[in-house]
Amino acid sequence: MPGADKEADLTERIEAFLADLKRGGCGTGPIRGSGETARETTALLRKVTAQARWSSAGDLMEIIRKEGRRMTAAQPSETTVGNMVLRVLKIIREEYARSRGSSEETDQQESLHKLLTSGGLSEENFRQHFVHLKANVIEAINELLTELEGTTDNIAMQALEHIHSNEVIMTVGRSRTVEAFLKDAARKRKFHVIVAECAPFCQGHEMATNLSKASIETTVIADAAIFAVMSRVNKVIIGTQTVLANGGLRAVNGTHTVALAARHHSTPLIVCAPMFKLSPQVLYGQFLRPHGLVFALTCTILSKVNVHCPVFDYVPPELITLFISNIGGNAPSYIYRLMSELYHPEDHDL
Amino acid sequence: MSSRGGKQKKGNVTSEQEEEEQPLQAVLVADSFNRRFFPISKDQPRALLPLGNVAMIDYTLEFLTSTGVQETFVFCCWMSNKIKDHLLKSKWCRPTSPNVVHIITSDLYRSLGDVLRDVDAKNLVRNDFILVYGDVVSNIDVSQALQEHRHRRKVDKNISVMTMVFKESSPGHKTRCEEDDVIVAMDSKSKRVLHYQKTQGLKKLQFPMNIFQHGSDEFEIRHDLLDCHISICSPQVAELFTDNFDYQTRNDFVRGILVNEEILGNQIHLYVTQDGYGARVSNLQMYDSVSLDMVRRWVYPLTPEANFTDQQGQGCTHSRHNVYRGAEVSLGHGSQMEENVLIGRDTSIGANCHISNSVIGNNCTIGDNVVLDRAHMWNNVHVSSNVEIHQSVVCDGAVVKEAVRLNKQCVLAYNVVIGPNLSLPEGTVVSMHHPEEEEEDDDDEFLSDDQEVGHSKDKTRQKAFNPAEVGPEGKGYIWKASMNDTEDEELAQCLWGLVLNPDPESDSESEASEESQDRSRSVSPEIDDVNAFQLEVLGTLQRGLEENIVCDNLVLEINSLKYAYNITLKEVMQILTRVVLEYPFQQQGTQLTTLQYTGSLLPLLKTWSPVFKNYIKRAQDHLDCLSAVEELFLEQDTHQTAMVKVLMKMYQLEILEEEAILKWFSTGATNDKSRQLRKNQGLQKFIQWLKEAEDESSEEGE
Repeated sequence: MPGADKEADLTERIEAFLADLKRGGCGTGPIRGSGETARETTALLRKVTAQARWSSAGDLMEIIRKEGRRMTAAQPSETTVGNMVLRVLKIIREEYARSRGSSEETDQQESLHKLLTSGGLSEENFRQHFVHLKANVIEAINELLTELEGTTDNIAMQALEHIHSNEVIMTVGRSRTVEAFLKDAARKRKFHVIVAECAPFCQGHEMATNLSKASIETTVIADAAIFAVMSRVNKVIIGTQTVLANGGLRAVNGTHTVALAARHHSTPLIVCAPMFKLSPQVLYGQFLRPHGLVFALTCTILSKVNVHCPVFDYVPPELITLFISNIGGNAPSYIYRLMSELYHPEDHDL
Repeated sequence: MSSRGGKQKKGNVTSEQEEEEQPLQAVLVADSFNRRFFPISKDQPRALLPLGNVAMIDYTLEFLTSTGVQETFVFCCWMSNKIKDHLLKSKWCRPTSPNVVHIITSDLYRSLGDVLRDVDAKNLVRNDFILVYGDVVSNIDVSQALQEHRHRRKVDKNISVMTMVFKESSPGHKTRCEEDDVIVAMDSKSKRVLHYQKTQGLKKLQFPMNIFQHGSDEFEIRHDLLDCHISICSPQVAELFTDNFDYQTRNDFVRGILVNEEILGNQIHLYVTQDGYGARVSNLQMYDSVSLDMVRRWVYPLTPEANFTDQQGQGCTHSRHNVYRGAEVSLGHGSQMEENVLIGRDTSIGANCHISNSVIGNNCTIGDNVVLDRAHMWNNVHVSSNVEIHQSVVCDGAVVKEAVRLNKQCVLAYNVVIGPNLSLPEGTVVSMHHPEEEEEDDDDEFLSDDQEVGHSKDKTRQKAFNPAEVGPEGKGYIWKASMNDTEDEELAQCLWGLVLNPDPESDSESEASEESQDRSRSVSPEIDDVNAFQLEVLGTLQRGLEENIVCDNLVLEINSLKYAYNITLKEVMQILTRVVLEYPFQQQGTQLTTLQYTGSLLPLLKTWSPVFKNYIKRAQDHLDCLSAVEELFLEQDTHQTAMVKVLMKMYQLEILEEEAILKWFSTGATNDKSRQLRKNQGLQKFIQWLKEAEDESSEEGE
């Protein structure tokens, strides 16, 4: 019974991944960057493609959608999981279309008329069976994985175009992408980095330590000092958790403050965001969770106190100057276009 | 036995890496072994009571799984089949679960000690394991504590047997309940526990000196720790429980280890975490605060909307002010959910309700104009209109009729009906179980549930409900905890536990009373000794008089008594004086006239003068003796006139010297009464006479 065995193994893997996602983000689980989450999701989806029982592209898409829904429900604040599911769905569509020998699927959003007429038919068409579809899809997912592996490097490579000598750069909190970006620039140029500490989690401290190890001149400032220091800053370079469809950001809290201060001083705000962080959602509002730090201070009156600890800020697109992704720099107004290239419009709600 | 030996040998040979790869095990005790949650836990074991609409044991299992436990032994006793059913249905028993759950049931467990002895007997644990109760809610990452524990064991050759996990939280924190308050003395460097004591509201604590004498030079005495009831144990712990069959609880164990540390060489360490959350739901007060903490997201990532149990339809949405709504919740017009509210699925709420800090279960119906504050409602509860509920627990299937008011700390157990038009006073517990059946069940408490349920049904039919207690349409009995049962202190009976005293007035009051208690306690042993000594002296003198014993022998006997009771010489003399002077009262009652008194006392003084002379030698002794005399006559103020005669006699018998008497007279007056005494005519004359005699003698001398 190798088939049943495989299936059990697969469900086990998925369950473990779900449990990890649920615990992720806080101290208890393994802490990962979103890049790693994206890679793991993709690898898991490849496994699903390889091991689940399906006969046509439609079946496969249904399976992927089902698993995708569970994964996104497990940790709604981790959008990369959902993004990767959408990417894989898009890949399946493309491969199916190629197997059928038509390339029209890829540029179907060109005319409104076509959208209206072909919408209902496409789903039925996925019922056709192709022998090589499985191999092709897996091949394409592998390509996606290689792309994911290289994203940070691709972004870091562009650093020298944006960072010049003797500039003062501000960043907030910790972002692996920004860290790589700055370190890459530091190989050739001398510049000064100011890091906002991003209380209460203070990821900024870690960022500053890492940067200073790479012999970059680094200063840590309190979040309250952001506005005061901004006048000296030449450029603000930040990371983000998600890039939303309208070109706005969902980023670590404090980012909105930085963005507003930068706008006030007309300092350019550059966002380093790999493509897998592009999410078709439009989100407003904040996600809350408290943290133990306030515990010690206010305990005697704690029963009467509510402690809220927002984790993410929404940054509107008009405050952002430039996105740097692994495929180059783009203005926020162009994000919607990238989005439509990455994801199929029919998949937007899983 | 042979297999065990083989395994151990193998373990020694294998490298350390492999040792670490052995699966982490946990022992989960899904029984509290007490009746704190009675009458609620009469129908449902405590581990299955819902906290934030999820059974408590699920929190514990999730905590264990997230810390990397791969094998859990769940020990159940009370209502074990219910727990078993629950676990078999849950995600923990799915084949894909990373944490393998073994359920072990037995009706014979009566304490934690029994469970651990069974662990040892069945040889279940091979390595360090985590010991928790089924009602612990925590998100602490114990992997670091585990690492420290293993490191210590590697370095110190298995000396450390247990690491207790504590959470830092200063006194007055609401998740600290007073009965669990502990004070811990520890070695700051090695984190070794030197002393562990429950404060139990005491204001004065004693530490044995020896804890400060050995070991390192840095100590901490901490009162800001909250016991999470999570402990990392080495396999020896189970063996130690087997060896010491009188260990019942973990407290017994900790105390035993600390006391016998030098003999057995075992040590206990602790691990203090700052930002995790860990608490044991040991009473309803804790239930209340842990439940609210959960809704306030302190236990992140175990939040209500995370649906970590993976149950269908349990998911809910989270919105501002910590308001959580399950699926299909309907909310009437004008109803407000102020903050920290969790509403389970399919619950409908009427119009103009006001809900804050509450948890409402699945399938509840709530009428119009209802006020809920810190209410904990479980599933299928019906609440009619115009009801007010404050800080109370309403269990499954309970019905609250119109215009009922539940004041603080009320409990409505399963299927109770209350009202209409009733106000339950603070702390009322209503249950379908009649309190009297409790006593009858006492002996077969651990019998199977079915029998018990059948039992109680018969009872409820027989007894009528009291409409004054539960309202005209009510069903249920007021539950009174029977005080006669169990060996535990009365605390154990109190469902809500000790309430922290927030108002300073009552605080100071209790403090005062405790202080006085303390004082009497600390002074009392001395007083007892002195009293006993006095009685003994009295007895000795009596015998001496009856049997005509020589005074030398009396002195000998008193001396030996002095050593036996550890009495100072000064006290001996005061007591002797007192005993002798009181002797007539002792023999003939207190109604003596002064004449009779002196008549019987003077011969006695003469008989015992050698005894006095033996003790009264230095000038100070004379003064002490005189002050004792004075004290006695101040008490017996009707006989003050006899004092002169006594002093005279003692002077004549050469027990007291005139100089001493004169000195006492001139200096000894310390308060009004003694001054009054000195104005006594007889005494004045006596002093006069003494002075003259002195003059004469001095003249004679010249």
